Amino acid sequence: MTIVPLNRTDHADLRIDPARAAESAAAVHLVPLVAGEIRQVAGQFPVFLAKDAETGQFYPAALMGLEPQENLFWNGAALEADVLPLNLLRLPFFVVGEGAEAAIGIDEASPALAPDGPCTIVDTEGGETEYFRSVQTILGRLLQGRDETRRLVDLMLETKVVREIKLDLAFHDGSTSLLTGLYGVDEVALGRARERITAFEDLMILAAMALSLDKVAALVRRKNARIEAQSAWFTPGS
Amino acid sequence: MAENGAIRSVCIVGGGSAGWLTAGLIAARHGRDLKVTLVESVRRGTIGVGEGTWPTMRNTLRKIGLSETDFMRATHASFKQGAKFARWRTGAADDFYYHPLVLPEGFPDLDLAPYWNADPNQSFSDAVCFQEALCEASLAPKLMTSPDYVGVANYAYHLDAVRLGELLAEHCTGKLGVHHIDDDIIDVRQSETGDVSAVIGERHGAIEADLFVDCTGFASRLLGEALGVPFIDRSDVLFVDRALAVQLPVEEDSPIASHTISTAQRHGWIWDIGLPTRRGIGYVWSSRHARNERIEEELAAYVGPDFARLSPREITIRSGHRAQFWKNNVVAVGLAAGFLEPLEASALVLIELSADYIATAMPANRAAMDFVARRFNTMTRYRWDRIIEFLKLHYVLSERKDSAFWRDNRDPATIPQDLQDQLELWRDSPPGEHDFSSAHEMFPAASYQYVLYGMGFRTRARPGRLANADAAQDAFDRTAALKRKLTATMPTNRELLGRLAQYRFPPL
Repeated sequence: MTIVPLNRTDHADLRIDPARAAESAAAVHLVPLVAGEIRQVAGQFPVFLAKDAETGQFYPAALMGLEPQENLFWNGAALEADVLPLNLLRLPFFVVGEGAEAAIGIDEASPALAPDGPCTIVDTEGGETEYFRSVQTILGRLLQGRDETRRLVDLMLETKVVREIKLDLAFHDGSTSLLTGLYGVDEVALGRARERITAFEDLMILAAMALSLDKVAALVRRKNARIEAQSAWFTPGS
Repeated sequence: MAENGAIRSVCIVGGGSAGWLTAGLIAARHGRDLKVTLVESVRRGTIGVGEGTWPTMRNTLRKIGLSETDFMRATHASFKQGAKFARWRTGAADDFYYHPLVLPEGFPDLDLAPYWNADPNQSFSDAVCFQEALCEASLAPKLMTSPDYVGVANYAYHLDAVRLGELLAEHCTGKLGVHHIDDDIIDVRQSETGDVSAVIGERHGAIEADLFVDCTGFASRLLGEALGVPFIDRSDVLFVDRALAVQLPVEEDSPIASHTISTAQRHGWIWDIGLPTRRGIGYVWSSRHARNERIEEELAAYVGPDFARLSPREITIRSGHRAQFWKNNVVAVGLAAGFLEPLEASALVLIELSADYIATAMPANRAAMDFVARRFNTMTRYRWDRIIEFLKLHYVLSERKDSAFWRDNRDPATIPQDLQDQLELWRDSPPGEHDFSSAHEMFPAASYQYVLYGMGFRTRARPGRLANADAAQDAFDRTAALKRKLTATMPTNRELLGRLAQYRFPPL
């Protein structure tokens, strides 16, 4: 990855193929979320809390694979999902810096930077393209969502609805995996804490997170399918 | 006294770590049922010794309701993963061993001691435990992602004891409803039965309670003075009776040792406790064996050129404890109960254990109190005896011949009989759980192994004890692998504490 600040002189002629940006998600199993998108994303992926290794702080994230560097929704060409987190939709763009210093950056090593890409940043009149305006909207939601996400995580910890969840899984070929470092909203604990979660919107987000844990089963199905496809490939004579 | 002799109020006399830890543990458990008061003379101040804890402190603080982040920030704490004993065996410059807080790999299901004794080509502590490697590199026992009070390796703390008292005072009065009275106790009022009915404060007059906890330090105003419980001097076993202490400020980016460094000297030993802001260094010695000038010289040599700018403080220590710890309605905690040299950081842990027992076994009425007191006395005396024996063990195995202090320490007349008997047994069998059968043991058998084999003691090899050679080899290999992995991944104490200044350990 080579992230540089975006500027008109260097990047005016850039052509981008957004579909190919998702390629960099092929080796990502956890994608950080902001509070405002959790309800939607939880309809597709299990949403957990994970800890930032540097700061120890919890952040919400969508689980897309059952081991590090595995994305079970990547089919080799695209991500097979109806809903994608903002942090994938923004690619190859990034928010660089904090607060008033925040600016847009671009990954110059991204596979999305392609001479035949259909999108540009600047239109023929020198204005911003609709594509780029949509990118700005996404980055804006990510940036503005930071404080709200922090507040929501603090609420989850204060109301003690978070439990560590160890995904101890067995697959059809007899192999197993143990994924640790994940924390989820516990339905029983949420039931006990519901009086203290006064905002209905918060309660719905936490409920969505609790219910989304059932979607781990979908990941296991995808993993089994992948194992089956691979074993078919390796079986002699097939 | 309330009707029916019900225990409705507790008065803790004296602050400091002892007073406030006791107040915190009692109030956290009985806050709704008992009125808890702590009376102390704020001007009198506290001694502030006891800057090394045991891992038990993590559970104690959790019970009191403090977060680890708040605790570590407020007390300028750092992590302690054990003790390094330097120059205890021969006195040579490269003579050292560790007493880490992590048990030997596989212990007690698998005992590596016989295998190590059969081929002791590496130090015992380094062969059977990964923690020495972390200590030698000043690495932390946990990560920023480790939850409150949870580590990758077992750990305790080094802390500023004065600040611990302040933090606990704030927490106890602000969160736990402890009543705080600033007063000087001028008298103690007793009933016909001998029970203390009130302590008399210079400004507040009589302060009544059903149970009194004596945390008045060496003075032991209630248990010793008022109730006349005698002091049992144990300096016949442990000779140390003086300490000369300094605080050496350190650079902001200097490494912080992950262990207490205890370096034997001609007439005693020097403790060295690293905090983020300073090192607490002190020479404990026996005034029967050496004069002050010699001590200051040796301490200056240890500290280096900065010593000239520091003002050393001399502390008189009385090795020993009260004959009883709970009499009538008075129970003593901390220095009022007794004191021993800080060789294995036993001061704070005894406070925690005593206070926790008082809180847990809190009698509901006066009639039940005598029974609880009897149990407490038996248990606490057992604990003091075990600590005294374990401390003495460090001395009796030394080969140092450079002073009367070390020679006298090996005089059999100064060694408790139980310890002499144990040492005979250990010539043929390593220390094991069978040697320590009480529910109130202070040190696990593993601690005795670390000190024994670190000091050069050997247990005779017996072929029958080497039957699990493959499992033992696996355990030695696991230790080596853990050392490689953890020394590559753990942050330094300095790095982790730097991050902790900005972020909090997660609650789970």
